[in-house]
Amino acid sequence: MTLKDMNPIDRAVMLVSTGLMFVGIVVLGVVEIAAGEPYSAAPVEVTNEAGEVVNTLYPAVDPNIRTGLVIAGLLILLVWSGYKLATPVSPPPTEERTTSETV
Amino acid sequence: MAYSETNPLAENFGFDIGGPLAAYWIALLRVITGWWFFHAGVTKLLTDGLNYTAGPGYLKGMTGTALGGLPVWMGNNLAWLIKPGVPLFEALIGLALIFGVLTRLAAFGGVFFMSLFWVGNAGFGHGVVNSDLMGLMLFMTVIVFAAGRYYGLDAIIEKTRFVKRHPRLRYLLG
Repeated sequence: MTLKDMNPIDRAVMLVSTGLMFVGIVVLGVVEIAAGEPYSAAPVEVTNEAGEVVNTLYPAVDPNIRTGLVIAGLLILLVWSGYKLATPVSPPPTEERTTSETV
Repeated sequence: MAYSETNPLAENFGFDIGGPLAAYWIALLRVITGWWFFHAGVTKLLTDGLNYTAGPGYLKGMTGTALGGLPVWMGNNLAWLIKPGVPLFEALIGLALIFGVLTRLAAFGGVFFMSLFWVGNAGFGHGVVNSDLMGLMLFMTVIVFAAGRYYGLDAIIEKTRFVKRHPRLRYLLG
């Protein structure tokens, strides 16, 4: 089965849920790196030689936004699984016979 | 058997998703993930019994996360369930994965737990992709590949007359 063979709901769920996770982790991760230090999703304290905190660097993208996007993707999959449980099971697709033979 | 003339090595070295190596690997992944959770649960049971008080406290501390007020509400109102539930469900999820019984349902429980751990631990000093997220992804992989069908009891359960009469159960098994 290819993406084209999927019904529109299944296809939309797959693309949107994985898309949200991809944006949350990879796309915003690239944005975070491009924005400069601290290069992490958590604040980093800058200390002087005496060990005193002189500055705190915050990530360019709030980690709540990134984790929120991933959670949203998972929630869509959860709702979809409920939908799949509630709808009748479709019969397996009939296999097409091909005359050509793979060498 | 398919044979590629352009890449003669593909026949011997290709890791087909339907091939024996993939099946072994998915089964191993399921068992290791199961052991991880079973160990976490059973050691809590051995030390705290069914009174894991750290559970509600952990949830109460989850303020300002992407999950909003839900964890704090759970910590305040569901402590009666969380104290015995965390060790018990962790152990049961682990056992279910090890034996491959109700695998997808158990892995869904694992996803729920790992979502809370990932967001709650907030150990994002090295980025949002940390071991908690990888654990969450392991459970998702178990669900997507229906890992219980590979050397798991779900492969047998799915052949029973009861499941054949109620095919939607296969969404929870497998």
